[in-house]
Amino acid sequence: MRIPILKLHHYLLVSIQTEIDDHTAIQFQEDLLSKIHKSGSSGVVIDLTSVEMIDSFIAKVLGDVVTMSDLMGAKVVLTGIQPAVAITLIDLGIHMKNVPTALNLEQGLTKLHQELGE
Amino acid sequence: MKPQSCVNIKKEWDIVGARQLGREIAKKIGFGIVDQARIATAISELARNIYLYAEQGQICFDVIDTMEHKGICVTANDSGPGISDIGQVMQDGYTTSGGLGAGLPGVKRLMDEFDLKSVENKGTQIKTTKWVR
Amino acid sequence: MDQQFKRIAIEHSDAIVQRWLEEINSLKEGNYTASISDELFESTNREFVNVIFTSIKNQGSTAAVEEFSEKIINLGWPLSYITDGLQVFRRETVDYILSQSDKVDSDFISNVLKSVDLWVEPLIRQLVNEYSGSWEHILSLQRVALQELSAPLIPVMDKITIMPLVGTIDTERAKLIMENLLEGAIKHNSEVVLMDITGVPVVDTMVAHHIIQAAEAVRLIGSTCILVGIRPEIAQTIVNLGIDLGKFPTKSSLRKGFKTALEITNRKVIDLKSQEEDAENLMGSLDGE
Repeated sequence: MRIPILKLHHYLLVSIQTEIDDHTAIQFQEDLLSKIHKSGSSGVVIDLTSVEMIDSFIAKVLGDVVTMSDLMGAKVVLTGIQPAVAITLIDLGIHMKNVPTALNLEQGLTKLHQELGE
Repeated sequence: MKPQSCVNIKKEWDIVGARQLGREIAKKIGFGIVDQARIATAISELARNIYLYAEQGQICFDVIDTMEHKGICVTANDSGPGISDIGQVMQDGYTTSGGLGAGLPGVKRLMDEFDLKSVENKGTQIKTTKWVR
Repeated sequence: MDQQFKRIAIEHSDAIVQRWLEEINSLKEGNYTASISDELFESTNREFVNVIFTSIKNQGSTAAVEEFSEKIINLGWPLSYITDGLQVFRRETVDYILSQSDKVDSDFISNVLKSVDLWVEPLIRQLVNEYSGSWEHILSLQRVALQELSAPLIPVMDKITIMPLVGTIDTERAKLIMENLLEGAIKHNSEVVLMDITGVPVVDTMVAHHIIQAAEAVRLIGSTCILVGIRPEIAQTIVNLGIDLGKFPTKSSLRKGFKTALEITNRKVIDLKSQEEDAENLMGSLDGE
């Protein structure tokens, strides 16, 4: 199973809709980086509205993906993190300090727009 | 106490199976959505530890329903290498796998009760409980 | 044996009731029921003693007891009225049965005590249960009321929400605050959440820890948390305790925080008319008179 990555102008949109196992997460990391490389996108929105839980492994993969994309010149915004997920992450002691966030897909795109100054 | 249900952890996908079953049980007991996420996440951490360090083991669920309180008890059993320094693994940020090092101390914070027994080269048992508020 | 005692008690119920009433009336003096009118006290006592006898005759009829306890609870009479009443009844009945019997040895006394205890016990149990049931009910209602009060969320305007916190914050409440804060921020689509701690009397390490966690969770869901209402003594405690609040914005007052919130959402407050204009208009209107 693979997570679909959509291209919208010079942004990439990802909506994670299913329960993610470790393998899918790693696969997604690879897919996204190669897609950024191929398309030359400058911004990525990863929407997590339908994700019911994030454990330390998935949090690490997501955090890594943000840093890696940054290195490749693409800004990543995580959107739609659910309250239950946010509380669980804080309980786990994971604060994802370097990861930009937004309430929803729309505001995520606005945020990218502002930060990239386009 | 009702008879417990167990999930064997052998493959990576079993981690997902365990946390899905755990969440379902938690929902039936009457946990709120946030506590369901806490329990599912704690199970995920415990199952991943088994998969990473002991290769195989079991996650078992007990429903606790007494006069005073209701809750879920999650037990992780494995016969892996065991933990040599328990104080160290309970420190935030300690990791041998390159992870975030949030696993066990995180589980302790997510759940209400936490009990870790480990014998080197024999195995590890972690028993955690969460009560319905 | 038991049947025999029961017969004595029921046959001579008038005498027992008489003695019981006297005893209860003597308890009334300077006691819990002092403020109750004599008539009401009198009639309730009669009802009480009737309930006791009905219960003995019918081997513990519950309907009458339930009705009676409900009445007493509604009257607001203390539980001690009921327990005292039943104690007195037990004492008087035992006395009476003993006085009516010819041969009295220790076996006989213990039998009498046992029988009377058996009559009274289910009554005490049921009445006490009814009472504690009603207390628990009140307690749970109050708990719900308190929960509703404990973490209110006010969507003041588009994209900005305020959570005023009043009173002591413990772990249980902190969890509630966090959940309400996050749910509310998403529901109202708030880009900025102002947490006002003006009404929180003490900010110790634990409270600060909860506040920091809530602010970080707010950031994770994609909103910004501004902590407002930091009084001088709270600023001092925070620094003296070595708590690092540097990672998210803080303001001394709700007003300043609200201004920052407007800036974050790209808005500002402007006066529709300047004061000078107002003054000129006023002068103009005076001239016209």
